[in-house]
Amino acid sequence: MREPMIEPDVMRISWGPQHPMSGQTRVLLDVDGEKVHRIIADLGFTHRGIEKILENRSFFSGIIPVDRMAMVDTANMSIGYVTAIEKAAGLEVPERAKWIRTLVCEMSRINSHLYAFGLQAESTGYFPAVFLWTTVDREVLLDLFEELTGARWSFNHFFPGGVHHDLPDGFADKVLKAVKYLRGRFKDYWDAMVENPLFENRCDGVAILKPKDALKLGATGPVLRGSGIDIDMRREEPYDAYGDLEWEVITEDACDVMARTKVRYHEIGQALNIMEQIAQSIPDGPVKGRVNAFMRVPEGEYISRVEAGRGELGFHLFTNGTGNPYRVKINSPTLRNMYVFERLAELNEVFVADIPVIINSIDPWYLDSDR
Amino acid sequence: MSKISAADFVKAFQKAHPEAVKSIESTDPRRADLVVNNESFIDAAKSLRDNFGLLMPVSGGAIDYPDDNRIQMIYYLMHPGSRFMLTYRVDLNRDEPKLPSLTQVWDAMSFHEREAHEMFGIEFDGHPNMIPFLLPPDWKGGHPLLKDFKGEGQQ
Repeated sequence: MREPMIEPDVMRISWGPQHPMSGQTRVLLDVDGEKVHRIIADLGFTHRGIEKILENRSFFSGIIPVDRMAMVDTANMSIGYVTAIEKAAGLEVPERAKWIRTLVCEMSRINSHLYAFGLQAESTGYFPAVFLWTTVDREVLLDLFEELTGARWSFNHFFPGGVHHDLPDGFADKVLKAVKYLRGRFKDYWDAMVENPLFENRCDGVAILKPKDALKLGATGPVLRGSGIDIDMRREEPYDAYGDLEWEVITEDACDVMARTKVRYHEIGQALNIMEQIAQSIPDGPVKGRVNAFMRVPEGEYISRVEAGRGELGFHLFTNGTGNPYRVKINSPTLRNMYVFERLAELNEVFVADIPVIINSIDPWYLDSDR
Repeated sequence: MSKISAADFVKAFQKAHPEAVKSIESTDPRRADLVVNNESFIDAAKSLRDNFGLLMPVSGGAIDYPDDNRIQMIYYLMHPGSRFMLTYRVDLNRDEPKLPSLTQVWDAMSFHEREAHEMFGIEFDGHPNMIPFLLPPDWKGGHPLLKDFKGEGQQ
């Protein structure tokens, strides 16, 4: 990136990509003493050209790179692309497959939120233990993924028209056991972290994003809901089994880092409720229909919007009657939230020491913003 | 937040700006689609934001049609009150793709226009910060998402 000019009395700090809290990005901070005047995000370190790769792949093999857009949240990435292909090809999904997908998506969401939650604890500098707790608790989910799909990460479980494997024997009981275990752990998180005065000091009133600004800047996911706006694609455009289940859209009104952390915390609780409902009342039946792996879909364009762990993920699929997509536009949640992050320094008084806390409250995953 | 259904929005916008509209339709209660003329591009966008409540920018991208010699720029907008999504499109000449920047209406389109600039070569007049975005700073390989771009190993 060619860097824009700075004023003479301002110092520019390059933060990341080697910083332990930055992830695969670089952030330029224009600082005057401790105060940050301007934030410039330098994305693109992990750009792989997924949109171009998808144009050269069949619909089925395109699911694999899409799956790898966010490793902690793979199910919610591939469900968007798979839903778009199903709309294009007019495929019906068996009821049981829809419920299995919803189960895997919610497990993936918990996995993603736990990771974000642990990093948020780590970023304040006081709670390295919480990051270790969440890492260990994610093992419970990874073991379930392994039993269901054969892989712990990027399991590529969904395809247009169903899922690859039915639930193994006794899986529902294991899900209920995991839900019970995780519910017990969440009380510990609340006591040790969220209600801890040290954590409150670092997070209360930091990086306030008012509802008006959140809309204007196009925030999404827990960042938007942390500003009190109840937009959640699972409810606005129900896909799979979400319309049949009982759950709530979580919002918080404080609009700060703490509000975003609490939204993630309570969303984990809702996801556990959904997992429990599915384990108790999943319908019987087949899990895949008859689908041609080398299918051609009619010419047209199709939009799918799903709620990934980090916010709304959209796929705009253009087809031209061949076996490959003509173009796939991916509307990534992290890209939207990174713009919000850039502008937070203008909306608030931001200090250098708060940057790790703020960037983790956005919960960026650069592999999905860079694509 | 105001509420208007996608079908009512289509009728109201058609009535308010007949000269700007190339085509407008809503096939689904959650979607609306609007193609505008190049001359009315900014005025129609301002009207969408101020009069029709499409406050929320979602994304932006382009698609290349070499056979028709055009590139279509697509902006995705959301109505936060009634929750439908509008695809706001404008057709550009493929030989010289040029467009006034929509950052003067929704400044969050900045990232998406930077991406479209390097992926499709579209020039955005008045963009405040047109610096390389996803591609390497020393990239000289052309515009990767154009249909005639050949990557390494492609003939």
